[in-house]
Amino acid sequence: MTPGMDLASAPLDTPLTLIGVGSAVTSRRRLATLGLREGASFRLLTRTIGGGRIVLVGGSRIALSKDLVRQLRAQAA
Amino acid sequence: MSESTRVRLPLTPATTPPPSAKACCHEIPRHTAGADAPVVALVGAPNTGKSTLFNALTGSRVTMGNWPGTTVEISRGVWRTTLAVPTCDCDNCTCAHDEEPLAITLLDLPGAYSLDAHSPDEQLTRGLLQDGPVDERPGLCVITVDASRLAHGLYLVAQVRELATRVVVAVTMSDIAAQREVTLDTARLSQELGCPVVATDPRRRTGMVALATAVRTTLADPVPDPRPTPFTDDALMLDDDRFTWLSDAADTATVAPGHDRLTLSDKVDRWVTAPVAGPLLFLAVMWAVFQLTTTVAAPLQDALARFFSGPVSGAVTSLLTLVHLHGTWVEGLLVNGLVAGVGMLLTFVPLMGLMFLLLALLEDSGYLARAAVVTDRLMRTMGLPGRAFLPLVVGFGCNVPAISATRILPDARQRLLTVLLVPFTSCSARLTVFVMLGTVFFGKNAGTAVFGMYVASVALVVLIGLLLRRTLWRTMGAEPLIIDLPAYHVPTLRLTGAVVWQRLRGFLKTASGIIVATVCAVWLLQSIPTTGAQSFGNVPVEDSVYGVVARTISPAFAPAGFDQWQTTSALIVGFVAKEAVISSWAQTYATEQPQPGQAGLLGDHIRAAFEQSSGGHPLSAVLAFMVFLLAYTPCVATLAAQRREAGLRWTIFGVGIQLATAWLLAVAVFQIGRLFW
Repeated sequence: MTPGMDLASAPLDTPLTLIGVGSAVTSRRRLATLGLREGASFRLLTRTIGGGRIVLVGGSRIALSKDLVRQLRAQAA
Repeated sequence: MSESTRVRLPLTPATTPPPSAKACCHEIPRHTAGADAPVVALVGAPNTGKSTLFNALTGSRVTMGNWPGTTVEISRGVWRTTLAVPTCDCDNCTCAHDEEPLAITLLDLPGAYSLDAHSPDEQLTRGLLQDGPVDERPGLCVITVDASRLAHGLYLVAQVRELATRVVVAVTMSDIAAQREVTLDTARLSQELGCPVVATDPRRRTGMVALATAVRTTLADPVPDPRPTPFTDDALMLDDDRFTWLSDAADTATVAPGHDRLTLSDKVDRWVTAPVAGPLLFLAVMWAVFQLTTTVAAPLQDALARFFSGPVSGAVTSLLTLVHLHGTWVEGLLVNGLVAGVGMLLTFVPLMGLMFLLLALLEDSGYLARAAVVTDRLMRTMGLPGRAFLPLVVGFGCNVPAISATRILPDARQRLLTVLLVPFTSCSARLTVFVMLGTVFFGKNAGTAVFGMYVASVALVVLIGLLLRRTLWRTMGAEPLIIDLPAYHVPTLRLTGAVVWQRLRGFLKTASGIIVATVCAVWLLQSIPTTGAQSFGNVPVEDSVYGVVARTISPAFAPAGFDQWQTTSALIVGFVAKEAVISSWAQTYATEQPQPGQAGLLGDHIRAAFEQSSGGHPLSAVLAFMVFLLAYTPCVATLAAQRREAGLRWTIFGVGIQLATAWLLAVAVFQIGRLFW
């Protein structure tokens, strides 16, 4: 089990570092091309309808659904 | 004047090197770049201003929008460039002001974050740049990169630089970067990437000359060596190498705050995508669009209707009287057919213009991408990702491009399901009929009635989606939502105006052709008698071929309360295109009681028909009719698009579902409604 917390439990507006991406390979590569790869610094902007999150990373704003948010693990930067 | 064409693979662009890159004194054809013209491909991540740049360079009208997936096909245009030169040594030089003209064939490729094709539109890009024969690849790639999020656009640059091709990077969105206090040194970035980098602003058309100069200079140079990569087939190791390379380049060339500063866009997003406020705002925005559309356009529409039914019809009648054709079949065709039909179509121009304007403002502002987030949960219940909302929204404008837009979906089964659902989105052609019936039957509440049809349309998409999801699609997995949200923009007049004009022109072009053809066909069928007692062109409509066919089908609609043959015939015409429904009514009633200049009584005729066929429950019957119109086959063009994307069997399957749903719902609405109204 990767340490840290999943993004559903992570606080908003706090600098975080991505430490684990437990999603399928396709989603993982898609996230990587958008800048969300292990080691990336990011923040959570807000909780969206349905339990998703908007992530601020490298100048991009990426909306993620609840199921994906639960597969990503982060720790405070 | 449009100078672009939409094409589908396989493409056979001209090869490199471009023989004309350093030549002048050539005639440049106005509409084509010539077979030997260099071919330049415009690529980039979605929503980096690629299509806007294409339009700025070619003067074309490719669909643009501030949301991912706007480009789903390849567009080709002519980019006429000039390059200032110190001297020109051609004999009898024709170049003006020491400029070398060069026409370039410019291709606008679908948006792609990478060359790892995740969806059919990304496969198009990969196919052209990487998988196709070397001698058919473009001579140069212009890659658009968003300055406000540089690293996320450079992954594609890294991959394209690994190919043996010339690259020029066009940096866009510098204004957004400035708002986020990000500064970019294009010269340093150029050094790091090993290719020219040019700052541009396609929305305001700045940097176009610098881009042309960079492209032409690079075209004249030999193909550069590909970027060296680790000698391995391990995709993860290659990815690591690319990310290190692009991170180094971005870090060296940019100065940015230590963390992402919260922008106004972010503050707005906290409300727009919030669990309760988001859906409420979405509904309020949609309601406002339809309310504004109907209330503002109504007076203009009335004025135009009076103009066509009065002065225009009168003038044509007078003209025909002068040439002794008054009272003949020519007058029937021209006054009751073409003037009434085309005039009726033109009365909807203010309505459509306003509708397109409001949707363009929503697109250009960036709101529609947020709407996809808000509706994701709803889409997920049908097993579809939030991205599927985007083609469905396009469907509210026109179903045909919406079916093409399903290519942004990565999974074939999701695409097929969306293709089958698109026809249930209420296109703008149906809006014209809803507005007319709403005005005739619901008066001041017309806007609410029309909005109700859009709510019904969304409900139909969800219900049919759920039905299919739980039966034929029950084994389909759901894709998680990953959507790249564009920054909010203040819509520019030029961009919004161009989008509105492009769509309005498309509507008029399609509708006018269909209307004229349908009017002529309807007139012909109404002129052919079914008994020997009458002659061609001199027969009551109900005794014509048109009337007899409609009367034969009419009883099927008795349980739905609209079995008048005039109503049924409009539905038959509507199978070809919904744009023709009103014109066929205008033609039928005017032909039945030829009173030139009184086409404005059309509403009274329709009201009387529903009153009679419903046994005194016209409101229930007209609601049933509107529901039928909403659910049954949109038009033959949509069927053709469905066949192209899903094949003949699935198209027939879709038509079956549409007709069955439409009839059952119409009967239910009438039978339940008559208990109350």
